[in-house]
Amino acid sequence: MAEDLVLDTAIRDWVLVPLSVVMVLIGVLRYFVSKLMRSHQAPDLKVVKEGQVILRARNLRAASGFIPAKSFRSRKTYFTNEENGLLHVPKGQSQNAQAQMFSDPNLAMDMMKKNLSMIIPQTLTFAWVNFFFSGFVAAKIPFPLTQRFRGMLQNGIDLSTVDVSYVSSRSWYFLNLFGLRGLFSLILGEENAMDDTQRMMQMSGFGFDPSRSLSAEKDGIDIIQHDWALPKMEKRAEDALKKLLK
Amino acid sequence: MAVEGDPRASANKSLGDAVDDLPIFNVDNLQSNIKSIYYSRTFLSIIGGVIAGIWGFTGFTGFIFYFIVMAAASLSLAAKAKFSVHAYFDSWSRILVDGIFGGLMSFVLFWTFAYDIVHIF
Repeated sequence: MAEDLVLDTAIRDWVLVPLSVVMVLIGVLRYFVSKLMRSHQAPDLKVVKEGQVILRARNLRAASGFIPAKSFRSRKTYFTNEENGLLHVPKGQSQNAQAQMFSDPNLAMDMMKKNLSMIIPQTLTFAWVNFFFSGFVAAKIPFPLTQRFRGMLQNGIDLSTVDVSYVSSRSWYFLNLFGLRGLFSLILGEENAMDDTQRMMQMSGFGFDPSRSLSAEKDGIDIIQHDWALPKMEKRAEDALKKLLK
Repeated sequence: MAVEGDPRASANKSLGDAVDDLPIFNVDNLQSNIKSIYYSRTFLSIIGGVIAGIWGFTGFTGFIFYFIVMAAASLSLAAKAKFSVHAYFDSWSRILVDGIFGGLMSFVLFWTFAYDIVHIF
């Protein structure tokens, strides 16, 4: 069953290469379009304040070992105090923040724009591939897969005796979709690497960030056990000096 | 300890304090180091894919080749960091394991591409 099919050179020239080139170009285009379309959102004062508070709380947690216990405790109550502590968000307010986030028209538009700029090129390219490049073997993948993948990889080819390694152009499209992410991260600079999947994950978790992260920080600070590192520093300095003097 | 003219494994020494339980790292440097590793691995997967395709590896041989390339990359990255990983990264896994599966898709793409162009012409 492993007879080698001889495939027309024209397929190489007119299917594989153009498809890859088109996908790279569309990716680059999408990057520049998203840069142009990024509406400049005036940062909301409240959100910025909360962000800074969270940063302070995180620094406190990270560097807790460097301040004596009493200072740590006073800072801790400043943050987690039930009445007017910065991180304490009463229940009613926290729900509101989330609802507000979503109904805020600017934010919704932004998310929709980002989503669309992601979905439309993919859909269009997929439709284009299906329309023009279906019904023939496009490529051979160098590793064997089981028969179960046949339906997925060979959708336009209706012969059941062809080796599963010979795939249609639809699977070449998907292979490109996943494989070109690495290439994009190299040519487009850092943050455009995992555009589609990462953004989808971000979309789902976006609206709830502020109030949840406040309570998360509060819990974090409550949990932390203060371990003052300065006494140990003296011992370390002593050891280091001894080593030097040897 | 900046190494001139070497874009890979940028020697931004993130201050790794060897205190018992208080690792302190300069976040920016750490992130820049991690990015260097990511770029090197991506680049190597692409090149490795093209090489595997041209040489005509099929099936498991190709994947084994990929892991060999990744292992060689890890080794050279560790050597670049003078084997004192904790001065540059927060854990061994960053330099040894991170990003191996991310590069796999790029490797497969370029492997298929090169293999087809060269062998099934």
